[in-house]
Amino acid sequence: MTTLLQTLEALERRPMRTFLTALGTALGIATIVALLAVSGGAQASASKFLNLGSSDLGLFQRDAADPTTSVLPLALVGELRHTRGIQAATPLVLLVGAVHRAPGAIAFGAYPDSFVTDRYVFLAGRMFTGDRQVAVGSGLAAQLHLQVGDTLTIAHHRLSVSGIYHMGVPEQDDGAVIAFGLAQKLAGKVGEATTVAVSLAPTVSRTQGIRTISRRFPGLLILGDGVNAPRTGVSGVLLSRLALVLAVIALVIGGVGVMNTMLMSVLERRTEFALLAAVGWSGPQIAMRVMAEGILTSIIGAGLGLLLGVVGAQLLVGLLGASEYVAPNVTAWDLGQALLVGVLLGVLGGMYPAWRAARLSPAKVLAER
Amino acid sequence: MPGSKVEVEKLTRALDGKVVLRDVSFLIEPGELVALTGPSGSGKTTLLQLLGGLDRPTSGRIMVDDIAVHALRHPTRYRREVVGFVFQLHHLLPALSAQENVELPMVAAHVPRRERHERARELLDEVGLLSRAASLPSSLSGGERQRIAIARALAGQPRLILADEPTGSLDALATERIWELLASVRQRHGSTILIASHDRGLLQHVERNLAIREGVVFEQGLDANQSDPDAETPPPSGGDPHDHAPANA
Repeated sequence: MTTLLQTLEALERRPMRTFLTALGTALGIATIVALLAVSGGAQASASKFLNLGSSDLGLFQRDAADPTTSVLPLALVGELRHTRGIQAATPLVLLVGAVHRAPGAIAFGAYPDSFVTDRYVFLAGRMFTGDRQVAVGSGLAAQLHLQVGDTLTIAHHRLSVSGIYHMGVPEQDDGAVIAFGLAQKLAGKVGEATTVAVSLAPTVSRTQGIRTISRRFPGLLILGDGVNAPRTGVSGVLLSRLALVLAVIALVIGGVGVMNTMLMSVLERRTEFALLAAVGWSGPQIAMRVMAEGILTSIIGAGLGLLLGVVGAQLLVGLLGASEYVAPNVTAWDLGQALLVGVLLGVLGGMYPAWRAARLSPAKVLAER
Repeated sequence: MPGSKVEVEKLTRALDGKVVLRDVSFLIEPGELVALTGPSGSGKTTLLQLLGGLDRPTSGRIMVDDIAVHALRHPTRYRREVVGFVFQLHHLLPALSAQENVELPMVAAHVPRRERHERARELLDEVGLLSRAASLPSSLSGGERQRIAIARALAGQPRLILADEPTGSLDALATERIWELLASVRQRHGSTILIASHDRGLLQHVERNLAIREGVVFEQGLDANQSDPDAETPPPSGGDPHDHAPANA
């Protein structure tokens, strides 16, 4: 307790040094938090992506590089409709980056009378009736100041806004729906779909549905929850692994940074530690002082890093122009992990400097004029 | 607490191939106040560091009471409980107040907080600086800093006080006050005190003078008008026994 109080006092009396040391740790922690938040946000966003008109399952081509690059034959839809336990199945084409002035919006190609679209609540106008019309989500309409009768350009095709709907699912409310045939044409997927949305019979559980479909159609990737969503393709796996690698690199950089800062602090204060040795402080007592300073500084740095990381994640996503795809998601567990990492960095980064401080020769150091 | 008896026998210290102390032998009785005079580079600091357990000799023996200092592998306890060191550059920690600097040796000894505070304030009172207890070293004069350093050296209630050029950076008035303070410390605490200094005014306050030249220690008189201690050559062997008596008392 005494050591803790003395260490706190020592840190308080050197505010600039304490701040700069903590800042080194904070940058490492902030990087980790930002990566965790963005990767968690990507997962959460992918989870919402599946929530198409209350469908129970989304079917994709296995090993597609990205969900939007999945290609499924339309014949599959007919076979699915005749599969036991499946109440409805409808094909969808997804167009990403095709909406003019709203690159993050997704344009859905769907049949206007499918179960995916039948729950849309129209705030103005109605569903599209042909290849020259588009129904626009309330979010997108607000963003682009669109009203019924205005024009919206999708993949260089000018379409008239037939209605403005609200669904309660951000990806759909921030997007638009066009005729399935038009979407196929624009995506170059004639006779094909990106995905098939499946609604299961009320008596069939999601697990049972996945089991049934995977037995009958082994080449499909069946997504039933958000955890599976990032695995939809090679890109998702790569992104997930890249985030892990970057987090480890940030950890190593943070650890080396803490050690370097602590070592500099020890070298700068070698006279102080030599003096302590000269007046009777033992090596372990001096090492304990250095370690305690390292850990406390790292905890302060971790706290600062948490703040920087949360703010940084938002900025990072904004700078990359990905805010419409990914909403950074920070959980209490992420924060706990970051704090734990901060303490570990303090312990690991402080060990070598503490050893150096404890081994200083008072005779040599104090004789220096 | 009575002062320590210091016995040094055939002490040699070589650093980087150069012999800094050569076959040094002397005896200091408990409670003696002794000067160690000699020019820069003659080995004064090295000798004090060896006596204080901050360094280890190449050969020879150092006995402080019944402690074989030359053989100590872990001298922490010896430094904490037996010796008090005063350095030329005072080495006060700049972030700590005067009182906290005085408390440092007691922190190492796990003295309870309240007792530590009381003892530090007593010592500050003794060196005439109780009113500056909360001051940082940067706001103190050179003489005041050195008095704080003396109070810190007394904090562990040492039997042996070693002062290495304690007035090296002080003016004449401040220097005189430090000598008077160390003499009064000896009177009050009975500690054995060995002071290394260039200042010949010190000789008026001590009982013995050990001179050191080129790593050789010998007894020298206390007459301040005697040969200049800064002279670069040691006395010829077999010189006047009164002026240059062997230090091996």
